[in-house]
Amino acid sequence: MYVREAHPSDEWQMKSNVKDDVCYAQPRTLSDRLAIANDFTKRFKYPLPFGVDDMQNAANDAYAAWPERLYIIDENGKIAYRGGMGPFHYHPGEVRAWLASRYGEVKHPEAKPAPNEGEPEKKEARDTKS
Amino acid sequence: MRSFLLDRVSLGPQFDEEVLGVKKAFMWIGISVGALLVIAFIALSVMAGGPKDAVYMVRYALPHMHRGNLKVGDAAPDARVFALSGTETFHIRERTGAKPLVIVFGSFT
Repeated sequence: MYVREAHPSDEWQMKSNVKDDVCYAQPRTLSDRLAIANDFTKRFKYPLPFGVDDMQNAANDAYAAWPERLYIIDENGKIAYRGGMGPFHYHPGEVRAWLASRYGEVKHPEAKPAPNEGEPEKKEARDTKS
Repeated sequence: MRSFLLDRVSLGPQFDEEVLGVKKAFMWIGISVGALLVIAFIALSVMAGGPKDAVYMVRYALPHMHRGNLKVGDAAPDARVFALSGTETFHIRERTGAKPLVIVFGSFT
C-alpha cells in the first residue's frame, strides 16, 4: 500500500535516494502518487496487489502507517499482527513467522537476480515537483 | 524590576548569599539543559546519518510519525484506496475475510 513519500527530494532526501536513482518530490496530487507507484511496480516488477492511499491519507491515518509498517488482518477482520514503526521496527521476519505458525514453513527457491537488477528503467514520471 | 533592585540594594550578607545561590542554581540548570540538548542533537545526528539529516528528521519526519492506537485484536479499520490505474478504487475490507491479509505500507523513497 503506497503512502506518502518518506524521503522526497523536496523534504528529507537521503544520499541513498540519489545513489539508487530514486528521486521524487512529495506528491501534491493523486496523479503524482499514481505515477510514482507505477514507477515502483514497474521497476521492481512488483507482483502483488497494490493500493495507493488517497490524498487525504485515509489509510495512512487509520493505520499510523508512515513511513512503513506491516499489518496482518485475520479472517474475522481483526488485527492479528501489528508491526512497529519503520524503519527501525520494521520486521518482515515477524510476518513470515506469523504466517509460518499458521500455514507452516515455506521454503522458497534461491532468488535469481533480475537481468537488469540495479539498472533502473527509464522513468517517465520523475520529479513530480512542479 | 526585582532583580534590578536586588543588584543594587544589599539586604544583608545572608540574603546576598541566597541570591547568589539561586543564580548559581539557574546557571547550572541552564548548562544542564544545554548539555542535554547538545547530547540529544548528537544522538539524533548519529541515528539520522548526520547533523543535516537530524534537522530534516525533526522538521519532516517526526510530525508524521505516529505509533497509532491499534492493538492486536482490534477491528481493522477500513479505508478506500486507489488501484494503480487511478480509475478504480477498492476498500481494504473487501480484501479481508477469506484468508489473512498482509498489508505492507510504504513508499518508493
